[in-house]
Order: sequence, then C-alpha cells, then structure tokens
Amino acid sequence: MADEIAQADDVSSELPAENVIKHGPVAVLSQVEKTYQLDSISVPVIKGVNILVRHACFTVLLGPSGSGKTTLLNMIGCIDRPDVGEIVVADTKVGELSDDALSDFRAKNIGFIFQNFNLLPVLSAYENIEYPLLLAGASAKKRGTRVPRLLEAVGLSDRAKNLPGQLSGGQRQRVAIARALARKPKLVIADEPTANLDSQTGAAILNLMRRMVERYEISFIFSSHDPEVIKAADDIIHLKDGLIQKIQRKGFGDAS
Amino acid sequence: MMVTFNLAIRNLLRNRRRSLATLVAMSIGCAAILLFGGFSGNINYEMHTRIVQRGGHLQIQHRDFYLYGSGNPAAYGIDDYAQIIDAIRTDEILSKMVVVVTPSLQFGGIAGNYAASVSRTVIGTGYVAEDINRMRSWNDFGLRSKAALSALEGSSLDSAVVGVGVARVLQLCDQLKIERCPKPEKEPANDGKALPDDIAQLSLLETPVAGPGKSTRRIEVLVVNSKGAPDVTSVEVIHAEDQGVKELDEVSVIMHLEKIQQLVYGKAPPKVTSIILQLRHSDQVPEAVSRLKPILERFSGKQPLAIQDFRDLNPFFVQTVQMFDTIFGFVFVLIGAIVLFTVSNTMNTAVVERTVEIGTLRAIGLRQSGIRGLFVTEGTLLGVFGALLGVVLAFVASAIVNSLNIPWVPPSTVEPVPLTILVAGETRMIVGTTIGLVCIAIVSAWWPSYRAAQMKVVEALRHV
Repeated sequence: MADEIAQADDVSSELPAENVIKHGPVAVLSQVEKTYQLDSISVPVIKGVNILVRHACFTVLLGPSGSGKTTLLNMIGCIDRPDVGEIVVADTKVGELSDDALSDFRAKNIGFIFQNFNLLPVLSAYENIEYPLLLAGASAKKRGTRVPRLLEAVGLSDRAKNLPGQLSGGQRQRVAIARALARKPKLVIADEPTANLDSQTGAAILNLMRRMVERYEISFIFSSHDPEVIKAADDIIHLKDGLIQKIQRKGFGDAS
Repeated sequence: MMVTFNLAIRNLLRNRRRSLATLVAMSIGCAAILLFGGFSGNINYEMHTRIVQRGGHLQIQHRDFYLYGSGNPAAYGIDDYAQIIDAIRTDEILSKMVVVVTPSLQFGGIAGNYAASVSRTVIGTGYVAEDINRMRSWNDFGLRSKAALSALEGSSLDSAVVGVGVARVLQLCDQLKIERCPKPEKEPANDGKALPDDIAQLSLLETPVAGPGKSTRRIEVLVVNSKGAPDVTSVEVIHAEDQGVKELDEVSVIMHLEKIQQLVYGKAPPKVTSIILQLRHSDQVPEAVSRLKPILERFSGKQPLAIQDFRDLNPFFVQTVQMFDTIFGFVFVLIGAIVLFTVSNTMNTAVVERTVEIGTLRAIGLRQSGIRGLFVTEGTLLGVFGALLGVVLAFVASAIVNSLNIPWVPPSTVEPVPLTILVAGETRMIVGTTIGLVCIAIVSAWWPSYRAAQMKVVEALRHV
C-alpha cells in the first residue's frame, strides 16, 4: 500500500497557485524524513515528504493519530529538525541555522498556537501578547500601539489585565492567537487549536483565525481532526503513516 | 534584561510557599554565619584590646631579648632608653600615631613572705604606673567592657601588685581579700639534714620575725642585679590582680620601674628591657614600624635593637584568631552547602514544573541563553533576598542578645564581660557573607538552568 502511495506533493510538480507566483511559498519541504528512537527501536515517523505551504493560506494537516502531523508541524515551525531532506521557510534554509539563529528566526517569522494555549501564567493577557515584542526589543511606543490593536482584533480589550487563569479556554486561545501574530510572522503553526474548546468556541476561534489570515496575509498551518477546521481550509494535506496521501487545494482540485 | 528580571520575580512569587521556604532556609543560614562571625569577632576584639592594653602595639627590645631574655633579662637592657623615647615623642609623624610610649623592665627572682615562711620564683615587671593606666583605657573597637586600672598608680615607690596565684602561694589571701583561698596544711619542720643548698631558700627558713608596726602585706623580692649579685628589697603588696592566664598569674609581680631599676642597676645608669608603644589604631602598626626603623638605627651602634609587634609577642592571640577564622570558614562551608542544595532543589523542581513553559518560550524565540538567564536570575534573586533577610535577622538577634547583658568570661580576660555579638558595623563580614551566599545561590541555579536551556523544544512541549 505504501508503495502505491506516491509522493503526493512533489514540489517540482506542484500546481502553481496564484499567490505562490505572486509571493512565493512560505515553506517548502523537500524529501523530509524523521525517525524517532524509542529505546532500541527506530520508529520512522515521516518518510520522505515534499510539501509547499502557500502564502496567506489556511493549510490543514489531516490524518489519523500517529500519522506524523505534529512532527511535520514541528519541523515546519523550526522547533525540530529533519534527519534527511531540506526545509525552507521564508526563503531561508533553516537546516543551516545554529540554535540561536533558529531561535531568532522563529521569533521573527513564525507564530505558535498550541492546543493547551501555553500562555505564560504569570503574565497578563496584555503582557503575554507583548512578550514576543519585548524579545525583539520593540520600542515601548511600538508595543503600546500594537498590543492594544491585537487585543481589539481578538475581542479582548476589556481583559487586557487578566491573568490566563482568569480567562476562559476560548479567551486564552484568543490571547494565544494575538501573541502568535504579535511580530507579524510569515507563518503561524497551530497544533489542534480547537481540540480543547467546545464546538461553539472552536468555531469562533476558527473564524477569528480565518479573519486574521485575510487581514494580515499570514499563512496558517494546522493539524486537526475538526471537520469545521477542514471545511475552512484552503489546502488540506492528507497524511498517513508518515506519507502524504493526497493534497486538496481550493480552486485546484486534488493532487495525489 | 528587565523582561527576564520581571519574569523571574513573578515566577518566584507564583510559588510563594516554596520560595518562602527557600528564603527562610537561606536567611537562617546567613544569620547563623553572621551571628557566629559576630561572636568570634567580638572575642578577637576583646583579646586584641586586652593585649594592646597590657603590652601596647609595638615593643622595642634588644634583638635577642624575645628569645633569650627570660633567662637573664638584665643582660638585655636597652641603653639610652630615655633618648629613644624622646626621639619617638618628638617625631612629627609618630607623635600623631602614638598614644603611649613607656619603658618597662622585666626581671626574674624570688618573692618570699618572710612572716609566713613561704616563697616562690617570680617573673616581674617594672612599669611607669601612670602610663600603664593610660594604656588600659585604649578601646579602639568600642567594646562595652573596660579593663580595671592598675592599683600601682599613685602608690608609694615600694608598692607592688602581684598575680592572684602569687598572693595565694605567699599566703596573702586574707590581707588582699582573695576568694577561693583555703589555708594550706602546715608542712613538717625541716631538720638540719634537709637544709636546701640554695641560699635564697635557706634565708627564708629563718624564724620569721613580725616586728611591731610591720605590714603583714610585705614581701621580700630577691633579684640578681646587673653585676650578678643577689639583691633583696621589701615591698608592700597593695593589690592582687588576676592576670587571666594561670601560668602567668602564679609568677607575676608588678612594681614601679624606678624601684626595680634601683634594685637591678644600683647606682649604674638604669636600663629597660622594652620600650612599649601603644598606637591610636592597630592598622597603624606597619607605618609606625617603618617610621621607627631610622630612629632606632641612630641608637643601634652599641646595641642591636628590634621591633616586635603585638602579634609576634602574643602567638596565642594569633592562633586563637586563626582558630576562629577556620571555624568561621568551616561554618560558612557547611551552611553554604545547605544553601547550595536548597536552592538547587528549588530550581530543579521549578525546571521540572515549568518544562512546557520552557518549551513555549523557546518556541516563540527565546534563546538558550535566555532560559539560562531566567533561571539564574531566579536563583540570584533567592540568594539576594535570602542573604538580606539573613542580615536583618542577624541584626535583630544580635541586638536582642546584646541587650540581655549576659555575663561571660572570654579567653584571656579576667573579669566577666557582657556577651556581645558584633554584627552592626562589621561591613566586611556582612558584605562578604552576602556576596558569598549569593554566589552559592547562583552556582546552585546554574546547573538546573543549564539543563533547562539544553532541553529540546519539542520534548519540552510534549512534557506532561
């Protein structure tokens, strides 16, 4: 079966989408492989994958548990490195970067939204959003302009001073979205962002992220099982056993 | 930097109970170090003060007197001592440093209570009583205790002060109102065959005659004069003074310098065995020594002179200070180890608890050095606050102890003094201990912070 599944997303044969031509892809993965070592057993998780993530698109990684979605997201998000293959994010070959350079690269180009929100519990909503800007050494004036705008964009202006513990799950995820967008990244990685939210809140969050894509022209890449997320996606990448089975791109049909 | 500091403070406040437990452990440790340091420091000051009060900071002696003088002090007398003292007093720089410059003459001999048929060998010193009392008022460290003044001042030339031990042996307890002085059993009378060879002992075996009007506090002092012949004089013991050390207390006789000079040198020009200099402050010793050297060279033509400082003359003091310094160092190391493990444990727990947070911070762009900086800052803050709290605790505890005026007798002191723990004003000790403990806290936090920084981001984020 595995043999039958061709390398579904061959970069060279990818159908050029309009915004790719205009802006170039945000991320390109070429022949990426990743194997985990569990005690003495080697477990191949990603088995030679080629992916192109389009600019200002909503991309979803879809697949059963253990298919390699999170591993792939981690590698695109530059918090994990492939054993084989090359990853280019925002025109940078990230495999060649040192740990410090990679940290700086992430800070500048990539935002993260986690399933469990992962807000810093000792910082208020405002401060959580401000933190990436502080890391970048942004001026007080810039922070003072940007953070309230983001809070307003996610509808939490009145909760600026609340600590994460004083916010609901949906509100926390809104703060996480605002934090991810604080430095105007080129790519936002979201690992099952609606998994810990009720369906109504999840839908609202999804709607918010969709609006952010349109407003800030940022690419979002998700892993999700949520049918609502899938419905909202521009591109859907189907994963199984570490291989891409199918890619659906809105307006271009299926590629396999 | 401010971001890290701000975050570190909030993280410490987030786990208030754990942070407080660490701070309490650190502050108690710090206070214990400071209290012990303050206690031992006060003992050192007490000893230092007593030694300087009795023997000054510097003594000018014949070069060989320190090593050989106890055998025959008169053989190591200093000629022209009055001119040397004059030269010191008139020196522009020394005169500003010197509080007292006074001669003294040490002698060895036998003291006997003829009336009670008892005698013993003694080591005596002749002083200028007024100078000795001025020296005893030296209190550069501001101690609460004061030395008793010598009874010799203002007394007649034939007066003497003896050690309490000498007074006991010479059976002067009743006359001098000495406590703990049971009457010795009478020894059997000697017959002619058991007569001693020593002429001094033999003379004391004569039947005592207590003539009318004769003071019962009179003793006879026999010394060998500068020509090698024995000379005897009678002196009145006006006081028995505890010398602090039993060995010294049982041999000490203190007389007026003039009296003992008459006895030792007769009509020959008088000499002394030491010229004592007491300075305003002990840290002036090196400067005073360098100033003294050229002066002494002028008088060293016929006699080799040497300068001994109070540390050379009192090796026991140096050993005691070294002992307390060693114990202090040992206590510091022990408490430092406790602080090290306490802070290390706190930081290790924090790293485990905040693994996901570490992963998040790294994911959003914080470098490894940023993570290290965050945890080291937390450890440093614990160290700083723990040490400062410890300093405050030590100040309060020492103030309470000092206000209680608990009497005790420190080494080389004869009278009870109020138990004093010197923390206030001991800037060097306080700053040293604080910096030391903060450094230990930083070292304790370094390894957990290094571990935190080395975590793989993905694994940290996966941590449950």
